[in-house]
Amino acid sequence: MLTETLTTEENVIEERVRILGRNRTLEGVLTYPTGRATCSVLIAGPHPFLGGDIRNNVVATLSKSLASQGAVVLTFNYGGVGRSEGGPTDWPAVMSEFWKHGTFKEEQGWAEDTDSAIFALRQWCASPPVLVGYSFGCWTIVNCLRKEKFQSIVLISPNHKQHMFTPLCICSAPLLLIHSDNDFTCSECETKAWFDSVREPKTRIQLPAGEHFFRGHEAEVASTVAKFLWPQDANSEA
Amino acid sequence: MNHKPIDILLTGASGFLGHYILAELLVHPHVRCRVLLRNPVAENLARLERLLIDVGVNLPAMMANKRVTVVQGELPNSLGSLDVDGVDLIIHSAGNTAFNATGSGEPSRTNVDGTRAMLSLATNAGIRRFVYVSTAYVCGEQVGHLPEAFYPTMPPVRNNYERSKWEAEALVWNWSTSTRTATICRPSILFGDSQTGRATTAKGLHLVAKATEILARAANDGSEAHRHHIPLRILGRSDATCNVVPVDWAARQIATITLTSTTEPSVHHITNPDPPTHQEVKEWLEKYFDIAGGQFSDASWPLRDSNHYEDLFYSLGNICLDYFRNGLTFESQCSANIPAGKRLIDQEAFFQSISYAQATNWFRSPYKMNKADDLEQRSDAFSSKWYFESFLPRVVPRSAITRVSELTTIVRYTITGPEGGSWICRFDSGQLKETQAAPSALKPEFEFRLSHEDLVEIAAGRKPMQDIFLSGCAEILGNVEQAMKMVPIIGALLKEFPVTDVENSAVKC
Repeated sequence: MLTETLTTEENVIEERVRILGRNRTLEGVLTYPTGRATCSVLIAGPHPFLGGDIRNNVVATLSKSLASQGAVVLTFNYGGVGRSEGGPTDWPAVMSEFWKHGTFKEEQGWAEDTDSAIFALRQWCASPPVLVGYSFGCWTIVNCLRKEKFQSIVLISPNHKQHMFTPLCICSAPLLLIHSDNDFTCSECETKAWFDSVREPKTRIQLPAGEHFFRGHEAEVASTVAKFLWPQDANSEA
Repeated sequence: MNHKPIDILLTGASGFLGHYILAELLVHPHVRCRVLLRNPVAENLARLERLLIDVGVNLPAMMANKRVTVVQGELPNSLGSLDVDGVDLIIHSAGNTAFNATGSGEPSRTNVDGTRAMLSLATNAGIRRFVYVSTAYVCGEQVGHLPEAFYPTMPPVRNNYERSKWEAEALVWNWSTSTRTATICRPSILFGDSQTGRATTAKGLHLVAKATEILARAANDGSEAHRHHIPLRILGRSDATCNVVPVDWAARQIATITLTSTTEPSVHHITNPDPPTHQEVKEWLEKYFDIAGGQFSDASWPLRDSNHYEDLFYSLGNICLDYFRNGLTFESQCSANIPAGKRLIDQEAFFQSISYAQATNWFRSPYKMNKADDLEQRSDAFSSKWYFESFLPRVVPRSAITRVSELTTIVRYTITGPEGGSWICRFDSGQLKETQAAPSALKPEFEFRLSHEDLVEIAAGRKPMQDIFLSGCAEILGNVEQAMKMVPIIGALLKEFPVTDVENSAVKC
């Protein structure tokens, strides 16, 4: 519900915003540069049951880093997380299903939340956004791929063994996959094999020792995404 | 970002509901607020800043970018030089909640005269919208399903507070013309923040909880059997309801109503469609404070033959019990904003707010559960052995975990440090079948390894379990994927049954 406006040392402004979803209102944080913005980015975070919120280390670092380089970044809490409304109604039943299968039907509501966040971002910024998903968020953004245009898609540590990523084939936006060499959800070999089956154009970057959580490696993730989004800047620096 | 900018004058911004309304309004980037503060302004501004920090609003930053400005004035008489140029609408949320008339003329002075003064200000400045924050209990003793409409004649009120709120409503309603729009918001009794349990004053259900805490302390001197057979008559019926709403939810509804453009005068009940019953509140309090014995009674106040426990319990007054009512419901468009199956106030929300109240000494001190010396003092008395061998076996069978029917696993908890040890818990179909101290023949599927200090923090509900593990402060060994699924399960248990008094190992169960 809250607004906290901060001007950081990196010339980034953070505003807490409320996103009107289909059935519920979501808590979001809009981070943008004090200067001119060059693109818009939607970041979908990890599974709400596994610490997925806007404070997540990867989500928060990415958001500030990309904003400081010129992006308008929207992050949000899924339904039932933080100050977002809704969430699973029968927690024990849902948890039971989650324990057994690692997924459950009501997760679809969180994919719809992602759709609402994209819609909100499109209202604020007209240009096609970059969609960034981390862990479970990879699945929620891929679920939102429709005929409309997106500038590019970034998947960080997707659990392709747990969730279906077939909608990727209906979107031709450039794809970046970032994964580590020791992710407990999917092995290095499994991820490479899955990536080979994905349509072009695509780029795969493997980061060493990041596990699934990239603790202590958040800046590397952010830098990798930035180089993908602004290759010309990376070249000029080089 | 394509909304037309809107300038709002807000009164009562430093009140319990008022600062939440301000925070809700500021969520909308196109809204600018002028807040009315009385002298001494610097002192009241500092108070407002402290209140807003707790709800995540950075007031200095808001003032720096002109989202918030302060205007000095005092209701009802000192509004003469108020700068209202450019104000689009007024939200008048300032109010006095004294139930009985005081020597200074309250509650009428603030509620009636103050509203009259604000309406006059609006008229003179050509402001066309006036949002008044009233109360659902302006209905007085009426019962039935009450419409969202102005009561043209004063209902049979029960105290001066209700009378003053109706009189103020009448002034506001009659101010409305074809070019001026009055909006009346009627929240019911406010309870703690739905996310944090936070409140700022011990009123309503918090007062009942505080009285129960006094009772529990008194009963603590007796035997266990005595503690569960306290001779207390609870005045009222078990099926009566108390219409309470979380303060942040109420503020959000008021902000939404305010920012919805309208030219029609309207009344809005900001009420709970599924409020807790007297029986539920009794059960929650008994569970929380580990006491029992109270019986509902049709005796009337004051009790002529009250016993020691009744004297203690009713020492804080009989005010809230009066607001447990039978046969009273409210028409409310706002109810549509509540997700299906979700209750505004349930056991979890209730416990959370009582925990917050206790942590702040019933709102008398700041919430500082993470204070280092506090932790040091508490961790000295907290025993990991007690937690795993006594506490968990007692609370898990009563928790929601028992309904996680697929939960079958063996977990090892290793607590590091001098207070530590290692315990292995076997779950079968959601039931905690056994807990053994290591070494044990049980073969764990995964292991959580954390410090004693972190265990104290999560056991007391001061840090979410997810944060401890995802921040890397704790380790997960073995089947990480299953262990990650266990984190929210244990997290839910910790939320349901936090250890409230670590020093004494006394729990709210």
